[in-house]
Amino acid sequence: MELTKNITLGVYLPGNTLIHTLDPRTKIVATALLITLLLFIKSYLAYVLFLILIIAILIIATIPPGYAFCGLKPMLPILLLMWIFQLFLYSTPGATVIFSWWIFSATDAGLHMGNLISMRVLFLFTVTTILTLTTSIVSLTDGLESLLNPLKKIGLPTQELVMTMIIALRFVLILAEELDKIIKAQMARGVAFDRGNFIQKTRNLFPVFLPLFINAFKRAEELIVAMEARSYSGGKGRTKMKTLHMGRLDLLAGLFMLLFSVLVVYLILTIPPAI
Amino acid sequence: MPIEVNNLSYSYKKGTPFEKQVLSNINLKINDGEFVGIIGPTQAGKTTLAQHFNALLVPDQGRVIVNGVDLAEKKADLVKLRHNVGYVFQNPDYQLFEPTVGEDIAFGPRNQNLPPKEIENRVLEAMAQVGLDYDTFNKRDIFALSGGQKRRAAIAGVLACKPQIMILDDVTAGLDPGGRKEIINVIKKLHHEQEITTIYISNSMDEIAALAERIIVLNQGQVLFDDQTGEVFLHARKLIDIGLELPEVMNITTRLIEAGFNLPGAILSIDQAVHAIAASLQKGQVDA
Repeated sequence: MELTKNITLGVYLPGNTLIHTLDPRTKIVATALLITLLLFIKSYLAYVLFLILIIAILIIATIPPGYAFCGLKPMLPILLLMWIFQLFLYSTPGATVIFSWWIFSATDAGLHMGNLISMRVLFLFTVTTILTLTTSIVSLTDGLESLLNPLKKIGLPTQELVMTMIIALRFVLILAEELDKIIKAQMARGVAFDRGNFIQKTRNLFPVFLPLFINAFKRAEELIVAMEARSYSGGKGRTKMKTLHMGRLDLLAGLFMLLFSVLVVYLILTIPPAI
Repeated sequence: MPIEVNNLSYSYKKGTPFEKQVLSNINLKINDGEFVGIIGPTQAGKTTLAQHFNALLVPDQGRVIVNGVDLAEKKADLVKLRHNVGYVFQNPDYQLFEPTVGEDIAFGPRNQNLPPKEIENRVLEAMAQVGLDYDTFNKRDIFALSGGQKRRAAIAGVLACKPQIMILDDVTAGLDPGGRKEIINVIKKLHHEQEITTIYISNSMDEIAALAERIIVLNQGQVLFDDQTGEVFLHARKLIDIGLELPEVMNITTRLIEAGFNLPGAILSIDQAVHAIAASLQKGQVDA
């Protein structure tokens, strides 16, 4: 049993490829752009374009596609549920009914909506995963901080905000590792997580989540002490070991993303939505 | 309940870019009533190996057979197996969760669906075995315990399941010398009085030398030595090479041997050393 195996969000896969060496700001802006585009896409053709782009990035960054997508596995049941809800509950006037059962009826509009929304979630997740897989935590922090710099002027504690976000991201994996150990420790005392009725299964969560929360608080406290012991006092007056530098590659990547966005926007505007 | 391991291999994070082979082609057999020490440098695969003994991990290749039952078989009753093969984890914080010590120790027997009276008896017995006074600690808040007391409560929680085999995974790590001694005495006593098969994982040569009858040395996922305690320590040089330390006494006796004393190669206690050195001096066998 290994819980951490399928967790890809927040994991950095070290490498030396074109994608890895891009300035983190380029990657963050590109990711934000892709996310925005994803929110407006309503045609299958645009999703095909996205898929091609993502596979191309994975190949350039030498990330095994199987690994990039395995993080989606735990989300599949929720996605399926969402898809079913859309299928039966979403409808537009004039939509044709595909089939009906008891009081439920599925329309083609619902089917399209279900497909589009599921794909949207899948792609949102994959795009963000690619960002963290190819960007180390340190450069991610530096990049975000630098991008949020203008907000400092209006008194926003950007450095602290970014630090909080990054720590949260890091803790996904740490907590999963702890969860793995706790589950094993309780299984060793005879908890059968896959047996029993609903009430018993719910009761089985206590021996797992109580130690998890207690340990999480303990870890957080230790982290605070460790940071303070090294004189962390927020963003003020903090200098950087590595300064960020935009190069020609970043310019090229930027241009490429622009081109891609124009193409997608063109598709969004010209192709009538499937619904 | 003998444990038999045949050609066991296991990789961590299999199928991802982080895949790493932790165990390769392990073969061993642990018989009833033995006290086996598993030692090796960090990342040698000690915990991974031990977690196969109660099916917390399932082998990629090879088989683990406990009491004649292949653990990979569908009909193997793993819940029952885990009550018979107790596992105490390194960090008690992963295990303790009930508000009081008594309730937490009762957690295992409750999972066995025993009658309340029997659970009560088990808790009483387990607390006595690890030397926690029932009246003082039964209702004690679990977070009010010291490090050593927490370890003992965790051991009691596993003992209350009445295991025939007990795996102790680095249970003295991070304790002060007093706490270590207490835990070691508890383990020693359990093995002698209850004849529980004990598998003791540790980094500390001193502890292993004092406790184990047989030692399995793991290095990079393979069994380097598997022999009686005295025999294993004859390979002093090799043990140091893979990053282990010799027991404190042997640091001195190995030097004396190098200086020309005629001493046996493996000396595990101070008493033994005193006698051997005295004998060697009397015979006047010192060359130097």
